[in-house]
Amino acid sequence: MNSGTTAGKMLQPEPALKTRKPFNAGALLKKTLLQLLVIVIMALNLIPLVIVLSTSLRSPDNNTNPLNLFNELSFASYRTAFERMHFGTALLNSVVLTAISVLLVVVFAAMASYPMARIKSRWSQFLYLFFLAGLVVPGQMVLIPIVQMINSLGIPSTQYTPILMFVTCSLPFSTFLYTGFIRSGVPEEVEEAAHIDGAGLFRRFWTVVFPLLIPVTVSVIITQGIWIWNDYFFNMTFISKSSQSPLPLAMLGFMGDQQNPTQWNVLFAACMLCALPLLIAFSFLQKYFVGGLTVGSVKG
Amino acid sequence: MKSTVMKKTMYFFAVPALLFYLTFWIFPITKLFQYSVTDYNGFAQTFNYIGFDNYRALFNGGTLGNSISNTLVYTVVSVVAGNLIGLALALLLNMKIRGKGFYRSISYIPTLFSAIVVGFIWSYVYMPDSGMIATFLDKLGIPNDNLNFLGSYSSALYSIIFVEIWKNVGTTMIIFLAGLQTVPNDLLEAGRIDGCGGWKLLRYVKLPLLATSITINTTLSLINGLKAFDFPFIMTNGGPGTSTNTLIYSIYKMAFTEQMFGKASALGIISFILIIAVTAVSVLLMNRKEVSA
Repeated sequence: MNSGTTAGKMLQPEPALKTRKPFNAGALLKKTLLQLLVIVIMALNLIPLVIVLSTSLRSPDNNTNPLNLFNELSFASYRTAFERMHFGTALLNSVVLTAISVLLVVVFAAMASYPMARIKSRWSQFLYLFFLAGLVVPGQMVLIPIVQMINSLGIPSTQYTPILMFVTCSLPFSTFLYTGFIRSGVPEEVEEAAHIDGAGLFRRFWTVVFPLLIPVTVSVIITQGIWIWNDYFFNMTFISKSSQSPLPLAMLGFMGDQQNPTQWNVLFAACMLCALPLLIAFSFLQKYFVGGLTVGSVKG
Repeated sequence: MKSTVMKKTMYFFAVPALLFYLTFWIFPITKLFQYSVTDYNGFAQTFNYIGFDNYRALFNGGTLGNSISNTLVYTVVSVVAGNLIGLALALLLNMKIRGKGFYRSISYIPTLFSAIVVGFIWSYVYMPDSGMIATFLDKLGIPNDNLNFLGSYSSALYSIIFVEIWKNVGTTMIIFLAGLQTVPNDLLEAGRIDGCGGWKLLRYVKLPLLATSITINTTLSLINGLKAFDFPFIMTNGGPGTSTNTLIYSIYKMAFTEQMFGKASALGIISFILIIAVTAVSVLLMNRKEVSA
């Protein structure tokens, strides 16, 4: 192997690899073109969002062409949208719904994955696949039996009812991530010391294993948190009062406005308001958002 | 030693999750099988068992074939195009480019938006006369009176698929980028020394090492595509005609608009089998590829 590469090197005396020439017009041109290409692609990708931002910053009766970017800077549309979607309440509702759901998902999924990762038997393998299989079933399909189930259990339709579905639907992917991580990332030896010290299973899991799961917990919080925060479907099913609506559901009140150009300024302000909390979270916690996505994929 | 440390009582840890999962997911799914042989309308207390009439009606009617073909087009296009674009973006933003961290963050932004917001924004982009694309073409002096992305039978489906790709490509890209970080530098160096050009490096060194990322991205977008519901629901209502009716949107419409829950359940069972079959076959195929690569 080694000799092969050296032979290749000798046959092809190309010094361009390491030594840097003082000036190379071709390379510079290539680099500039590449840079331009990236800028063009990014611009195309983001144009809709830029126009939405610019239009949202106009007063509601400014009906000039949206392509004249940023020709007015006013928060009047934001004020209207803010009131129409009851932004304060909706934001609070979203935070509460997402926080409770994600907390439950983390606790339930981490615990459930522990036996699936540690016990090597046909049963545990079955359990693992049984959870994973739930990923392919869309919620829209089973909605009516789900609602019947919730009714027959006597659970009232409140603003917290969707939490049941958020937790349930997050289990397949979360247990998949946790099980994979425990199998490959948490050696059994770390538990033996605790076992010898006489710690029971419960304490061993929460004091020894769970703290080692932080990377994958971040991943679960981010991936599941984003979908729960953005979901409108289960919210739409269980919540009917606007005072109980989280942000995406409040957006449904604007349905139809996208066909009506005179409503765009307010509609786009509402869109920006709806996206703002996650955008702010993303800008501060970027490395967790990006890292969280890839924990599962790199560990395989 | 091992068996005393890892006791079977550990299984109790799965109880809370299992309770939720069985009650609110598995049991309702089994109810679908029951409803699929009834004339249940979704809210009345009584219903009759009508055998396989629902299935027969579905196989004789046009909805089933139409929704399956729309769903398969949706899935294939979004998987193939989404992965190619995501890979291209990842390769591009893995090169030595000024501000690539910034560009990476920017391309991730659309994934943070709720499907509702994305649907609203793209309805504006596609709108005839005063929408974004139409006004752009106006400015360039290109006639666009006949251009109606969401209103024409031939383009509506592809237009919403494009939105799906736009929303998800950030995730695909991030997963490919992570995969690219695992490609060892000395392997690339060795390839270069052996005289590989950019294309050969990609084909014979990077792609085989990206096998895991490809499997993950393909599986995720496959499931996403087969479950497609959001954009037909928000942007087109399945129209014009039935041209953007995906399986799940058809089920939803049948159950809630037409109040034929029995028939919708039958369609649900068929979709369920289809989704499982397609996912299983492609995961098996990719696993085999991954091992041989």
